[in-house]
Amino acid sequence: MTLSDPPTPSLPQCVAQTLARLGIPAALLPTLVADLAPASEIWEFVPGENLFRENAPFAHLLVIDAGKVALEMGVPGRGRTRILSLGAGDIVAWSAVLGNGQMTTSATSLEATRVIALPAGRILALCESNHEVGYFFMKALAKAIGNRLVATRLQLLDVFSPHPSTVPLRSTE
Amino acid sequence: MGSLQRAAVSDDPWRSQTVRVAGKTVECPGITTYHLRPVDPQVARDYSFRPGQFNMLYVPGAGEIAIGVSRSLPPAVTCAPPEGDAMTLDHTIRLAGRVTGALARIGVGGTLGLRGPFGTPWPVELCSDQDVVLVAGGTGLASLRAALYQLLDNHCWRRLILLYGSRTPEVLLYQREYSLWIERGLQLETTVDRDHEGWTGNIGVVPQLLDRLMPLEPQRTILMCCGPEVMMRYVMRSARARGIAKERLFVSTERHMQCAVGLCGHCQLGPAFLCREGPTFRYDMIEPYLTVEGL
Amino acid sequence: MSDSADSLWISKGELQRLIDLLWDRGYSVIGPQVQSSAIVYDQLRDVSQLPQGWTEVTSAGSYRLVRRSDDAWFGFNVGPHAWKRFLFPSQLTVATARQAERLREPAEGSEEDSATVWLFETPPPPQTSYAFLGVRACDLAAIAIQDRVFMEQAYVDPAYAALRTRALVIAVNCTQAISTCFCTSMKTGPKCEQGFDLALTELPTGFTIESGSARGAAILEQLETYPASHSQQQEAAARRRQAVADIGKHLETTGLRETLLENLDHPHWADVAQRCISCTNCTMVCPTCFCSSVDEVSDLEGVRVDRERRWDSCFNLEFSAMNGGRVRDDIRSRYRQWLTHKLATWIDQFGTSGCVGCGRCITWCPVGIDLTEEVAKLRTGER
Repeated sequence: MTLSDPPTPSLPQCVAQTLARLGIPAALLPTLVADLAPASEIWEFVPGENLFRENAPFAHLLVIDAGKVALEMGVPGRGRTRILSLGAGDIVAWSAVLGNGQMTTSATSLEATRVIALPAGRILALCESNHEVGYFFMKALAKAIGNRLVATRLQLLDVFSPHPSTVPLRSTE
Repeated sequence: MGSLQRAAVSDDPWRSQTVRVAGKTVECPGITTYHLRPVDPQVARDYSFRPGQFNMLYVPGAGEIAIGVSRSLPPAVTCAPPEGDAMTLDHTIRLAGRVTGALARIGVGGTLGLRGPFGTPWPVELCSDQDVVLVAGGTGLASLRAALYQLLDNHCWRRLILLYGSRTPEVLLYQREYSLWIERGLQLETTVDRDHEGWTGNIGVVPQLLDRLMPLEPQRTILMCCGPEVMMRYVMRSARARGIAKERLFVSTERHMQCAVGLCGHCQLGPAFLCREGPTFRYDMIEPYLTVEGL
Repeated sequence: MSDSADSLWISKGELQRLIDLLWDRGYSVIGPQVQSSAIVYDQLRDVSQLPQGWTEVTSAGSYRLVRRSDDAWFGFNVGPHAWKRFLFPSQLTVATARQAERLREPAEGSEEDSATVWLFETPPPPQTSYAFLGVRACDLAAIAIQDRVFMEQAYVDPAYAALRTRALVIAVNCTQAISTCFCTSMKTGPKCEQGFDLALTELPTGFTIESGSARGAAILEQLETYPASHSQQQEAAARRRQAVADIGKHLETTGLRETLLENLDHPHWADVAQRCISCTNCTMVCPTCFCSSVDEVSDLEGVRVDRERRWDSCFNLEFSAMNGGRVRDDIRSRYRQWLTHKLATWIDQFGTSGCVGCGRCITWCPVGIDLTEEVAKLRTGER
């Protein structure tokens, strides 16, 4: 490591940064980091690696630090369909906190990706016991899901679909 | 509201010029770029346009359509035009109805009518030393492409970024030109609504590309957006959420154009005649009217 | 103190001389006459064609002709016609496309045409010289408004400009008002102040007359005029005052633009929409409405195509059609477009209101919608 390389942030620092990005107020960070960091991890993936599988239990809330991840759903007869890609700053696996712990999609890395994996169970417990913390976590999740819902609706609207009266092109063209 | 530019050559707003189809490039099924050249050499010499303006293309018997001029001339930073260095005007057109259907039946060498250019152009002059973000959806890239070439040519900006999305990977326009653009300094991010086999790029909607764009200095950003109106509304929402002031956001609007000179009434949106005050607008000027349903 | 409108007087018979003089000079004189139970504007050669002794009785959705107790020649106000039908014809060829000879026949089995050479031309402007006899003050204002639309923007409409510069305008002051008039609210009348070549006020045995332009003055010199007597001047002024006194309808214009543009989602628009049937009558009779569409009219072989402009209306369903859908898909949005354009955004576009208070839209609305009442409800929030 040369003098010009910036120091690699420690795990607690990564967790603090991640929570701050989610909108957790600075005053709450120290206790939260102390509580969550010991059970948090930093995961690195090469392209094409699976992060979690649809319908399988999964116990971490992921925040993408760098890279790109695709969400997929399996449709019998159609195979696995990619429905959305996510990048730096995006939350993945919210079902770990809000759902029954079973993932609603699979996730695969599209390029070299690094995620911060927060312990979903501990987050839930914290939210239950400390409602102020709970408010900010739920707010962050609601915001992320709200944005994702708007994006999904736009995909559903099919705004680029061809005009209904399209005349089929002839093969000479 | 915007600046006016008189149509080339003729003072009679209804007079079309004869243009020949010098070439046709099929961009993807249903979308073709027509390379048009005025038959009269004087008209060819005198015609000029600014990116964001449009022509009325006329197929006698079928009618007219308003199409943005998609390439600046003479070509500065582009692929070689179809027939040597003679002037051509690119119009990228989606097959969608009666007039475009009639247009599709005109082969290379055939002729049609052209009136123009009309409309208020993109504010390329505001881009000096700015981070310029072009946001396009579907065939909206055709209008921004003219601005893109002018910007690549004058290189007055600090950063130049194109966020572009389409329905599927095969409908992303002008793919053969991407490497050229990137070579000249463009940062390109693309996305598709629906995945296709072999696509390893982004899947999702265009506003998400803007949500994720890093770094972003809102006070130094000029953003120009062209695409389906729903997409544009959400791009504006994302742009505002990123802290970009409304005066730095520009959109291209669309309504039914007919006369193109503010006399037939069809293209009105609130107080604006889109053929005259638009189609490009600074967002704060048009937002009150864009957000009223059925206005 | 005399009004310059009343300094000269001509006899009733002299009006016929004026009409004959104008026809001799190549003008097509257009004046009011009774046709199909309404007073309309059409070619006029003889004063006996004028609606002598007739007046109009109007209300929202109603128009009747009724005999007067005198035989005044201009004792009415406005019928369904506006002068725009002459200056902005309801049908006009604006361009023509012609095929030059084909360079070669299309290739066998080819679906594409690579050989047709189209040539484009625009017609010479119309040459008709109209003389409009009987133009009311509200219609003078309407003509001035359409002048701004068609001649004072970045693009000039060549046909309108040609017809307008040739047209001679002979105004006739109103000596009464009907119940649908509200020119006083729009500050366009009832007295004719500008925009005419000649202006007349009718008296029992003649007219007081003034010129408003060099062209008018030159024509006046050809007529047998007398200085108007003091009693003639008083009588003329009194009759014009009667028109003011007759006006009962009012449109409050203070802050009207802001009121309309700040209430685009007001519940009252839905109420009007329940009654409006989107028939386009109001736009057809309105003297300032200018929306149009162009149709392709091809000959049988398809080698010549005329582009014909015709009146259209923002109330027509397909007027806002785009990309397979319609922007204004319901009557509510179409009515709102018409009213807000006429009374609000017209000001942004052309510097004045688009309404001149002639009341035609009220008279000729089959369901009797009165825009002055609708505006009042939008202001107060009444349902």
